[in-house]
Amino acid sequence: MFQQLRLGLAEAERARDAILAALTTSDSPIALAIADENGVPILLLRQDGAPARMLSRARSKAYTSATLSLDTVEFRDHHVKATQRTLDDWGDPMLTTLQGGLAIRVNGRVVGGIAMSGNTTMRDEALARVGLEALGRST
Amino acid sequence: MIQRRSIGLADAQVAVAAVLEAARPSDGALAIAVVDDDGNMVYQVRQDGAGPVQVRAAERKAYTAAYIGRDTSMWRLQIRHDGRTVADWANPQLTTLHGGWTLRRSSQVIGGLGVSGSGDEERDEQLALRGAEAAAQLAVAAWRTQRDPRRIRDRSSR
Repeated sequence: MFQQLRLGLAEAERARDAILAALTTSDSPIALAIADENGVPILLLRQDGAPARMLSRARSKAYTSATLSLDTVEFRDHHVKATQRTLDDWGDPMLTTLQGGLAIRVNGRVVGGIAMSGNTTMRDEALARVGLEALGRST
Repeated sequence: MIQRRSIGLADAQVAVAAVLEAARPSDGALAIAVVDDDGNMVYQVRQDGAGPVQVRAAERKAYTAAYIGRDTSMWRLQIRHDGRTVADWANPQLTTLHGGWTLRRSSQVIGGLGVSGSGDEERDEQLALRGAEAAAQLAVAAWRTQRDPRRIRDRSSR
């Protein structure tokens, strides 16, 4: 037997609200994915007018961050590019190197991933960080 | 060019909230998904304790209800009556698990709602219906505000 802290819906909803509040009129319609430590979604959201591929991407980013315990940019720069490998080497079709997925850490342990899609990947990551900070306020 | 209607995030969130409100403590932890008219995800939540099985089932149920244009339980009856199996549709995302409800506006499919996790297929379906009702109620409310009271009398509240 052992017990683990898991990410709950209440935290995910707090991150959702923080991100939606941070959107400006210059942002495109967004997609948001928050996944648990196994990359399984806790909350998925796609705004009106955001193409379906945006949410698929957000899901992949959240999955990647959660399961690899890495922000997607770290994964891209330090694991894929730096070793001159391609994504195929990991053998998991859900993995992505697109910027915008962040690992959610509590006391140093990864409990999930949060990811955005819809804008530039830089903006996606900035918005995901807004959600990450809203999560941190409670834990 | 054609116009198509789609559920939209605001209505999807209302439907999910209605399911959560209708859930009883005796129900298991739920996953609830709402997809648009093409079956693509709009909004999904997972209550604390619901597992990956529920997450996937809720999404598949919602997808099937929107894609096929039938509630999943009704579709199951139809398939069995016709002597077919789900495999005939050549789409691995389809399911006949109860609890997927087709969302319509003016008889057009605008999306699908899937519930999983209550512990009972029939109960999943009941809960999905509560969400679908809440979404339909929004249409009634919108109609009330848009109608011209000089031309159309509101009989819906009687």
